[in-house]
Amino acid sequence: MSDKVKSKLTRKFPGVSRRSVLKSAAVGATAIGAGPLMFNIAKAASETIRIGFPVPLTGPYGSEAQEQARCAQIAVDQFNAGGGLGGRMAELLVRDDKLKPGEAATRTLELIEKDKVHFVCGSLSASVQLSVNAVTKARGIIYVSISQSDAINEAKDFSKYTFHEAMNPHMTAGAVGRYAFPKFGKRVAFLIADYAYGHEMVRGFKQAGEAHGIEVVAEVTHPLASKDFSPFLPQIQAARPDVLCLCNFGYDQMNSLKQATGFGMKQQMQVLAPALLYNQRRAGGAGAYEGVIGGANYHWTLENSVASAKAFNDAYRKENEGAPPSDYGAYGYAGVGALLDGVKKAGTTDSDPVIAALEELKYDKYKGTQYYRKCDHQSVQSVFIIESKSKKDMANEYDVFDIVHTDEASEDVLRSCAELGHEA
Amino acid sequence: MTLANPQEELKGSGRRLAGVVALMARHRVLAVLGFLLVFPFLLPYEALAVNILIYGLFALGFNLVFGYMGVLSFGHAAFFGLGSYATGIVIVHYGMHWFPAILVGAVAAGLGAAVIGALAIRTRGIYFAMVTLALSQCVYYLVYQLEDLSGGENGLRGVDVYDLGLPGLELTLLDPLTKYYFVFVFVALAVWLFSRILASPFGAVLEALRENEDRARACGTNVALSKWLAFVISGLFCGLAGSLNAIHLTIVPIESLHYHTSGLAVMMSLLGGMGTFFGPFVGALTFLVLEDVITLVTVHWQLFVGALFVFFILFLPRGIWGSFLRWASR
Repeated sequence: MSDKVKSKLTRKFPGVSRRSVLKSAAVGATAIGAGPLMFNIAKAASETIRIGFPVPLTGPYGSEAQEQARCAQIAVDQFNAGGGLGGRMAELLVRDDKLKPGEAATRTLELIEKDKVHFVCGSLSASVQLSVNAVTKARGIIYVSISQSDAINEAKDFSKYTFHEAMNPHMTAGAVGRYAFPKFGKRVAFLIADYAYGHEMVRGFKQAGEAHGIEVVAEVTHPLASKDFSPFLPQIQAARPDVLCLCNFGYDQMNSLKQATGFGMKQQMQVLAPALLYNQRRAGGAGAYEGVIGGANYHWTLENSVASAKAFNDAYRKENEGAPPSDYGAYGYAGVGALLDGVKKAGTTDSDPVIAALEELKYDKYKGTQYYRKCDHQSVQSVFIIESKSKKDMANEYDVFDIVHTDEASEDVLRSCAELGHEA
Repeated sequence: MTLANPQEELKGSGRRLAGVVALMARHRVLAVLGFLLVFPFLLPYEALAVNILIYGLFALGFNLVFGYMGVLSFGHAAFFGLGSYATGIVIVHYGMHWFPAILVGAVAAGLGAAVIGALAIRTRGIYFAMVTLALSQCVYYLVYQLEDLSGGENGLRGVDVYDLGLPGLELTLLDPLTKYYFVFVFVALAVWLFSRILASPFGAVLEALRENEDRARACGTNVALSKWLAFVISGLFCGLAGSLNAIHLTIVPIESLHYHTSGLAVMMSLLGGMGTFFGPFVGALTFLVLEDVITLVTVHWQLFVGALFVFFILFLPRGIWGSFLRWASR
């Protein structure tokens, strides 16, 4: 698998045929003959469209990041197969940000200074995307973020060059809350990973819960990357909630779920996990996740009702031995895909026209129609409420979630522009 | 472990290379600066060159206590991070001009070093390493929790110093080469100052402490005070490196306070050659360039860097520059 990624990542000139080489050689020869001015024009017109893609290839989210890179490459391949931008091909430059904001900033500077990228897309953590965004916005480079964060929408970090393709914690938690609170009860407990993402999810739940009159009976925070949850879970059990919201991510989520299952908490309360991830569920096993309800931007079974999902799955399956893509992988595909749609529409790689094109764009890459809200460039999209299946209900190893509800794309589920500090 | 003064090692050697090395040793500040002046043109991109300057300075400051005084600290990330955060916070929250902000960063790190030093300096060896590690982790969690000031896990954003606002000069840090020379000016001053400190009687005291603490005490050195002072000076240099890093990246990531950053300083010093003047910069150069090149080829870069580190510890314990000096003066 990883060899395949590497060959993908190192492939510099997708689809260079002898004919195109001959053609550009001919163009080049003419241009040199016609003098330096002509040459510059020819160069600008045939220059590759370079997209920098910093993701944490090493570290705990390595496999997810490689998935994002694979999916983004599919978007680039499709763009090139469609003739590119009047013959200008696109190229994806994948870099390892090591899940560290400082490293990501350096890598982004490298992409801009050395590789002269036109656009940047990527990241798999809130802090990393904020640092990439700080570098790109100062240099007038469009950045499409593909991981969750609330802060990036806020006026303080936002710039006109900033786009956020991923959902944000506020809308995910809100959607899950609106679905679950009327169904399972009003006594709510929170288990919170003590960092921005965890607290952002709590805020989303609480705002959604206001309409349903929820009562918060326990709020327990745990340090990031905890292994042992036994000091925290009994406090929650003692409060006897109807619903437990797991406001954590990745291994924290997996470990807390496994231990909560062991404590028999699933029989006492409904467990919600706003960021319920396909790969994490597959790593954690059916037992720990069974019955957990969460939110997702995507699950591959969406192909039964949405045509673009089917097309995306098929393109991915063709290159990955029949395995369907993951939810975070889909962000990579949609982020780069939407960006290239914008480039095509604008007819150039210059930032300002592309921004204008992206603001007008309605795109359907993999899950139905999406668009970027004008004030904060947040992608307005549907949120899927999913329930983790038990082992006996799974049709195959990939069939891990049921889509039980769809929260249609709407700006109403986002924090308002004024709330985020944007003017008008 | 210990290294003799290169000039002494060179005595009695008539070889030309040795002569060059001796000349460099005599004019070590000029040699370092001359090299660093043309340095950005030798590297693939400027941001990497800036990183090497900053981490070189960080390792240089660290080397004062590690290489010259012979005390291993595992808490120097605290000073690097304090410098970064102090500079970042006064710029972001108080709108301070970049120049005093850099001074604030260095001073804040110096104060941090004064406190941590006072608590840790009476312990020795592994205990000293552990106490400094523990105290620097305290700083990490303190800054992590002060979310309103520091940005917490998301890091501090908005250290947007681009226009330097120097009278008569239109310089912007958005230009990578300008940024390099901007950082270079500070590093140059620091390197010069560092050399002066080493050449002073205080520098001699540090090496005496490394060679034999009891004898130094018998000679009338106030051991505790000298150690503490060296620790504070080291903190000032590392804080300056941190301040420059905040301006370079325009953000302050929480990882700059993490103990990995402390480990980085140890690794760079060992790679380059501890207790040598050029060593830290050679170490920073080797480490960062290797990391940069290898990550482009494989995601398993840590394996290669780790293997290299083991190789140096086993076969070249003097580090790259230390071994070179040895070889040149043989």
